[in-house]
Amino acid sequence: MTSASSSEIWSVKRLRSLIGQIGFPIMLLLLFIFFSAATPGFLSIANLAALAHALAPVAIIASGLAMVVMAGNLDISVGSIAFLSVSIGWSLLGLGLPVPLVALVIVVSGGVLGAVNAFIVVVLRINSLITTLGTMIAFRGLALELSGTNSHTLPDGVRELGNQAIGPIFVDSIIALLVVVAIHVLHQRTAYGRQLAAVGNSALIASKIGLPVGRVIFVAFVISGCLAGLGGIFATLQVGALTAFLGRGLEFNAVAVIVVGGISLFGGAGNVLSGILLGAVTFEMIRNGLNHLDANPYAYRPISGLLIFMAMYADSFRSRGHRRK
Amino acid sequence: MMAAPGLVLSNISKRFAGVSALKGVELTAAPGEAMALLGANGAGKSTLMNILGGVIQRDEGVALLDGHPLDLASPRAARAQGIAFVHQELTMLPTLTVAENIMIDHLPTVGGLIDFKALKRRTQDLLTRLGCRFDADTRVGDLGPGDQQMIEVARALSRESRVVIFDEPTSSLTEPEKQRLFGVIQGLKSEGVIVIYITHFLDEVFATCDRVTVMRDGMLVSTGPVSAHTVASLAHEMLGEGSLAGDIPTAVPPADEVILSVAKLTRARVLSDVSFEVRSGEIVGLWGLLGSGRTELLRALVGLDPIDSGSIRLKSSGHLVTVTPSQLSRSTAFVTEDRRGEGIFPGQSVEQNLSLPTLRQLLNRFGLVDRSRERSLADDLIGRLGIKTSGRGQDIATLSGGNQQKIVFGRWLGSQPTVFLLDEPTRGLDVGAKTEILRLAVEIANGGGGVLLVASEPEELMRVCHRYLLMDRGRIVGELGRGATRDDLVARVSNRAVDEVLQ
Repeated sequence: MTSASSSEIWSVKRLRSLIGQIGFPIMLLLLFIFFSAATPGFLSIANLAALAHALAPVAIIASGLAMVVMAGNLDISVGSIAFLSVSIGWSLLGLGLPVPLVALVIVVSGGVLGAVNAFIVVVLRINSLITTLGTMIAFRGLALELSGTNSHTLPDGVRELGNQAIGPIFVDSIIALLVVVAIHVLHQRTAYGRQLAAVGNSALIASKIGLPVGRVIFVAFVISGCLAGLGGIFATLQVGALTAFLGRGLEFNAVAVIVVGGISLFGGAGNVLSGILLGAVTFEMIRNGLNHLDANPYAYRPISGLLIFMAMYADSFRSRGHRRK
Repeated sequence: MMAAPGLVLSNISKRFAGVSALKGVELTAAPGEAMALLGANGAGKSTLMNILGGVIQRDEGVALLDGHPLDLASPRAARAQGIAFVHQELTMLPTLTVAENIMIDHLPTVGGLIDFKALKRRTQDLLTRLGCRFDADTRVGDLGPGDQQMIEVARALSRESRVVIFDEPTSSLTEPEKQRLFGVIQGLKSEGVIVIYITHFLDEVFATCDRVTVMRDGMLVSTGPVSAHTVASLAHEMLGEGSLAGDIPTAVPPADEVILSVAKLTRARVLSDVSFEVRSGEIVGLWGLLGSGRTELLRALVGLDPIDSGSIRLKSSGHLVTVTPSQLSRSTAFVTEDRRGEGIFPGQSVEQNLSLPTLRQLLNRFGLVDRSRERSLADDLIGRLGIKTSGRGQDIATLSGGNQQKIVFGRWLGSQPTVFLLDEPTRGLDVGAKTEILRLAVEIANGGGGVLLVASEPEELMRVCHRYLLMDRGRIVGELGRGATRDDLVARVSNRAVDEVLQ
């Protein structure tokens, strides 16, 4: 109760929030140095380009998901949306539609599927986790019906698109970066983005202030759906085939990227650009680095699990301050 | 018919779950006029203003502005028609900046992107007008309640408004901040804006308002010019004549044994130097208007709000022992006015609600809850408290307010606490249920417990209390004995306010 003890508490709080803010970047840097020093192959332009290539789909999907999370909701159907919208595109490709049009249809389909989620969450007022758990299962079922359980190798002309590069950098890495930047600007610098953060702070307060809460959440799900479709395209191109496993587990990778990137699952807080890049690079670097170390292939999973817990813990005491008041 | 300029609310009625909150209320205000809206806790002021602000929808009635019907389907619709609302419970977005909080529903943009320069300039203008010294780029979560209250005001002023509702805008403001707010209200009036001003500080009515409307029990009591009133007459109208109904057995005179002793309890801006004692078997009334610190005192005692200094001592095995608020809360029952939010678990049965704090005592030898003991505890309490229910399995949410409150009480009886903190335990209950709740308080005291009771109506306190602690602005400013009359109590509230006006 004395002033000494209260200032002490204050400094502990400061220290904690400092660790919460810069702890992950420092850890990432240390890991980078460790992998570079411990393995000969890690620190090469080819390997780093491969790393950026591999993380492109999940970075794109996590960007869209970040919008939903910022608004205080969750969308775990993004992996299934990716699978179903790419399956729709696959059917159209079979009918002989040109590739750019097919790509557009895939993205639009993703948006429509996102709108289905949005309708259930906003209009029917069902909790977003339950809603997207349901659509995750349902969309995957529809996709399996549409594409069959066999894998379909992409036609040669299409498959080549997955390996396009400018210099050493793969095109999908560049597109992923553009998407992350665009979403960052949308969140940080547009009226919509700020209202999204307002809804994420508290939907109740946002509606009392007179914000169009339903519309804001609806649009976030549609964006998430569109980017799930786009991410699905690149995930398919990287494999070179449409398989029944497309998008499986992607939703959880995307959530993990968001959490590790410091975007609060409580809504309303976080930075898209640094968050998505940090999160996506962290996971891919650990996977890539462990490969180079010839580590046990199963080691990646417990390590990522640990990372997610640490990130959630950091988030919980970062958020505690302003929410308990 | 010529449309009268100004705001007309006519015959507004609203019921919540079958209980009438507003019964045919009328309110009119002309452009450039500041209308004070007064009433005791639960009188319906906030409900009426929430209807005008689009937060809740009326069941019946007409709302006109300059003769045109208002669309009050949502806060957004109300805002679009020029109705601004300064909420009592702050509507802050903590992770956003001050500027974003103020302008969130009309952020200036250039080519789709926010024009941060214009945003900052406009916000800074507003902040200067309000005399705020914090920066427009500060995160709102980092500011204190006083600053946040000014942001709430700034947001209302950020758009052209025809009507501005202030719902207790001064509760966390310092004196200079308050004076600046009054200046802003004068400015609004001279621009022809209609100001509706809700407060529990009667002196503020005389400082800012032209006319005053008083409500009680969801009905209009009077409306007229402020000049026709004194602080005493307003207090009288707010609190009413009161009616006694139902006998309550007289509480036995308290034993001389002190069971709770509080010394110099202080919390910055909320409580200062609060000291008092409660004896075994005693019911002590905390008397003061809302905002006097009575609820805040109870919350601080059990650790719901932090305290800055002061000590609490509690009787424990024959001695008064210094305890922390969280230790005190373990031997304390706390019953609040906010049954739905803090008291009951809707969706669970009467039985589950009753047995919750005593589950540990109901364990069988396998460490599982002994269902038959749980059932008999529930049946016992249902009988003792006279809870009207179809059975212990009934969902608590489907019971009446009075019966819900009895369950909140009953829960604590199982664990036998020594101190009872009752914060408006009878709010929103009908006369019969009020009597039964007060009777429970007396029973607790007769059993040797100590009770601190907060109530907005003096009659309620007078029916059961042994003495009264008078609170004002976070201090205990006096004490009255059992013989105090209603007029004594009402006078203490209004005298205090008169002093303030004369200062």
